[in-house]
Amino acid sequence: MIETVVSLQPAFILHHRNFRESSLIAEILTRDFGRFTVIAKGVRTPKSKLGPFIRPFVPVLLSIAGKSELKTLTHIEPWQSAPKLHDLALYSGFYINELVTYFLHPFDPHPEVFLLYQNALSELSNTLELEPVLRVFELNLLTQVGYGLQFDVDNLQHPVSPGKKYCFNAESGPVESEQGDFAGSTFLALEARSFPDRTTLTEAKKIMRSAINFHLNGKPLKSREVISKILKHSHS
Amino acid sequence: MIRQGLLGQLISDLCALPGVGPKSAQRMAFYLLQRDRGGAIRLAETLLSASKKIAYCEQCRTLTEDKLCRLCADKSRDSSMVCVVESPADVWAVEQAATFKGVYFVLHGHLSPLDGIGPEEIGLNLLENRLAAGDVGEIILATNSTVEGEATAHLIAEMAKKYQVKATRIAHGVPMGGELEYIDSGTLSHAFNGRRQV
Repeated sequence: MIETVVSLQPAFILHHRNFRESSLIAEILTRDFGRFTVIAKGVRTPKSKLGPFIRPFVPVLLSIAGKSELKTLTHIEPWQSAPKLHDLALYSGFYINELVTYFLHPFDPHPEVFLLYQNALSELSNTLELEPVLRVFELNLLTQVGYGLQFDVDNLQHPVSPGKKYCFNAESGPVESEQGDFAGSTFLALEARSFPDRTTLTEAKKIMRSAINFHLNGKPLKSREVISKILKHSHS
Repeated sequence: MIRQGLLGQLISDLCALPGVGPKSAQRMAFYLLQRDRGGAIRLAETLLSASKKIAYCEQCRTLTEDKLCRLCADKSRDSSMVCVVESPADVWAVEQAATFKGVYFVLHGHLSPLDGIGPEEIGLNLLENRLAAGDVGEIILATNSTVEGEATAHLIAEMAKKYQVKATRIAHGVPMGGELEYIDSGTLSHAFNGRRQV
């Protein structure tokens, strides 16, 4: 691989873990170069100037260099003010980080996904209704990475009717069925990215969950499991 | 030189220590064998018994060779004040500050949804039992000031609320002797949000 030098690139840290004595390995999402991994050397020391900025959900500008797949972080500075995520919004943030990590291939540029991600974080910080934000993010993310679904026509190309019942198949979309779990109106709501009531949201969650699980090929989403345990602890 | 035999084994085993590479491991090994055999034997014996006997304190999960650690067993400490920290090293750090006279609870990590580390992995069941028992008056959240640390603190605060226990978070801000000019903007905005009347 040839030497890459990127300077002051808008980015978000998706996840990081400690490496050796004083370094970090971070998964980052950049605007123009997609998602990849960087090593930040010597940032876990009290004197490090870069260390404090390496945290998830903070929009940063970063510079990297390196010949191998694992790039080295050379500079990082704050870019815009960080969205304030608390409680459920924060846990949802971890969830979308995991989705982005799974669905973007390394070094595959997706400026639109960067924008979607940025918007989703700022919406999560500004609303109490988190579920619509998550559903819209999931839908748009799948569309951007090439797994887009059409919800306004069923598997036989008939338009989805709001009053009828449907099943959901992750490959072919809505399938009309008397015993279906989902109302046609839910699929139309997903298509329109707007959710009028709680029932629709609950159904939309189930539909998106099965679509995402299908594309993950059996890989479990760790954050989903942990978040459900957290909720059990904090609200039971 | 290819490291062989017992000496080679010793050098590569010493490399398991944090901050010790092959060169320092070699120096340590030679020092112990040439200059201080007695020290080497003592070190080996202490290491062996420490790694066999030291486990988690039943009450606070810090490292101890007894059932209850020295701090939990100390009757003069206020057991209704519980300080929650991420690691046993943090217990030592707070103890050195010598301002806290309560007891601790060590999480051995923080919530990290992307690594699959949830409430059970950091011992929150045990903490919840303690909260439920009703002898905790205040819980002080001294987890690290990272996103995960904040998430952990938040969850414990929610649990405390459920059992009507007061939860407080340690303050973050300007370090002692710190000059504002050199402080990062995140810390400074934290310091401003947490300002108080003088």
